[in-house]
Amino acid sequence: MEGIVLALSVCLVLALITKKLALPSIPFYIIAGLLLGKSGLALVHEDSIALFLTHLGLLFLLFFLGLEIKPDRIWSNQRAIVKSGVIDLHINILIGFVAAYALGFSLLDALVVAAAFFISSTAMAVTSLVENKKLLMREAETIVWLMVFEDIVIILVLAFFGSSGEHPVLMLAKVVLVLLVLVVITRVGRDYIISVLKRDDELPVLLTFSAVLGIAALAGAWRIPESFMVIAFGTILGTIDPVAFEIHSRPFKDVFLVVFFVFFGITTDLFAHGVSLVAIIAVSVAAVFSKLASGVAIGKVIHGDRASGMEIWTNTIGRGEFSIAIAAIWGSAVVSSTVATMVIVTSIVGAFAAKYSTHIRTFLLGVRPEGGTPPPRR
Amino acid sequence: MVYMALRSLNLPGIGTKYELETEKKDIVAIFFLKSGNIQMYTLPRDAPAPAVAELTPAEARRIGAILSGAIMEADQESVEIAFSALSDLRISIHTYIIGRQCAGKSLEDLQIRARTGATIIAVSRGEKNIVNPPPSFTFEEGDAIVAIGEADQLKRLEQVILVA
Repeated sequence: MEGIVLALSVCLVLALITKKLALPSIPFYIIAGLLLGKSGLALVHEDSIALFLTHLGLLFLLFFLGLEIKPDRIWSNQRAIVKSGVIDLHINILIGFVAAYALGFSLLDALVVAAAFFISSTAMAVTSLVENKKLLMREAETIVWLMVFEDIVIILVLAFFGSSGEHPVLMLAKVVLVLLVLVVITRVGRDYIISVLKRDDELPVLLTFSAVLGIAALAGAWRIPESFMVIAFGTILGTIDPVAFEIHSRPFKDVFLVVFFVFFGITTDLFAHGVSLVAIIAVSVAAVFSKLASGVAIGKVIHGDRASGMEIWTNTIGRGEFSIAIAAIWGSAVVSSTVATMVIVTSIVGAFAAKYSTHIRTFLLGVRPEGGTPPPRR
Repeated sequence: MVYMALRSLNLPGIGTKYELETEKKDIVAIFFLKSGNIQMYTLPRDAPAPAVAELTPAEARRIGAILSGAIMEADQESVEIAFSALSDLRISIHTYIIGRQCAGKSLEDLQIRARTGATIIAVSRGEKNIVNPPPSFTFEEGDAIVAIGEADQLKRLEQVILVA
């Protein structure tokens, strides 16, 4: 208990500082965790309470991801999503996997690292576009849809991860059955659920909290992938009233996610045997530059312009919440230390790159290029 | 008159975007962010980069009111409204505090509209507001009144009724 309080108070101070400096806070939570935990001073250890709270953080992160997914909107924007997404997926998974495998990771670990390597932080990309006032540039839309594509990929990855050794057909049948029941319940009880969400007593929060925990418990009991079920549940509830569910689950997400990040740092042993620190840092550097390759390729294909690609690159360098989620769910020590390092390096580099993207483009491309800021003329 | 297309777009994670290209080929884009704030971009035709302002909802409403053609002049006690469609009709609304000289007199006694042209449309007394007070309404010292009229009618109200 004291450990959690210590970790949280450090995070509170860090949050104050990073918000003031307009830097992403996730890498600093992890650095704090590394310093407080196994890799550093070993002041804080993970106990069962911390384990439960970090689990809640992960569940609410995934539930939020689900709420944001709007199948109809994705369906009607397929073209915007798929083209850039496929380029992004191929280049980054390939570079990530090859880099990790060549540097001595086992085949499975290298695949997991590649997935974490591929997925940029949606939160950081969005914050970067808003904070740096880049919403009007034509690349902003491309970046937003790219993040949507990555989110869809990550849902599929998590569905695959959760496999519990159950026969795939049996598991699929159970998943479909549960989802169908949930859809029917939310259709039939829609008006009632909306009326509950509108109350101003404890009911809406209680409903949201127990629904998320309930679906996770059900997934555990039925041996179906928990992460996938929580996301899908979020998407189904999102068809009722996404804003209300967001409001009622936000405090849980905000607090438990910080616990999740800091304890990810605390339980990560940077000096675990297996892969050298040099290799881990090499993966992080590759992570920065593979997004340059995919960004430039996307910029060329979508906007016909390298400079556009550089702009896409600077806003998608940061890896964050979902990379950590993958590492945490997978649980291998060497993957955790790699992802921790990668998140710290890429998110800090990304924050500065996005801020000074105009200078970087001028520097790398020589002239002050056309691409980047102006939106298309119609 | 042909209006340029106003394009609106939902951006997941960010909010809603409205974009308008003006007749002069400048671009104005408004983003309603999920945080509740509003970012307003303007990009002149020949400029390489847009200028941006981030507004709170209250600030955005103020700008909206100005753009929609209402407020010309505003200070603490008065607003002037100009209706450009009605041959530039300008109406001022002003608040005053009733002093000792009007206390105890009714609207009928004072003959405000006949003598000044201005109309008292509301009175605020303590916690209560009286809208469209009847002729028999009697003022008390400290009442706040809202008067409407043209600028010189209101000036007359100040000189003839309130100060005299």
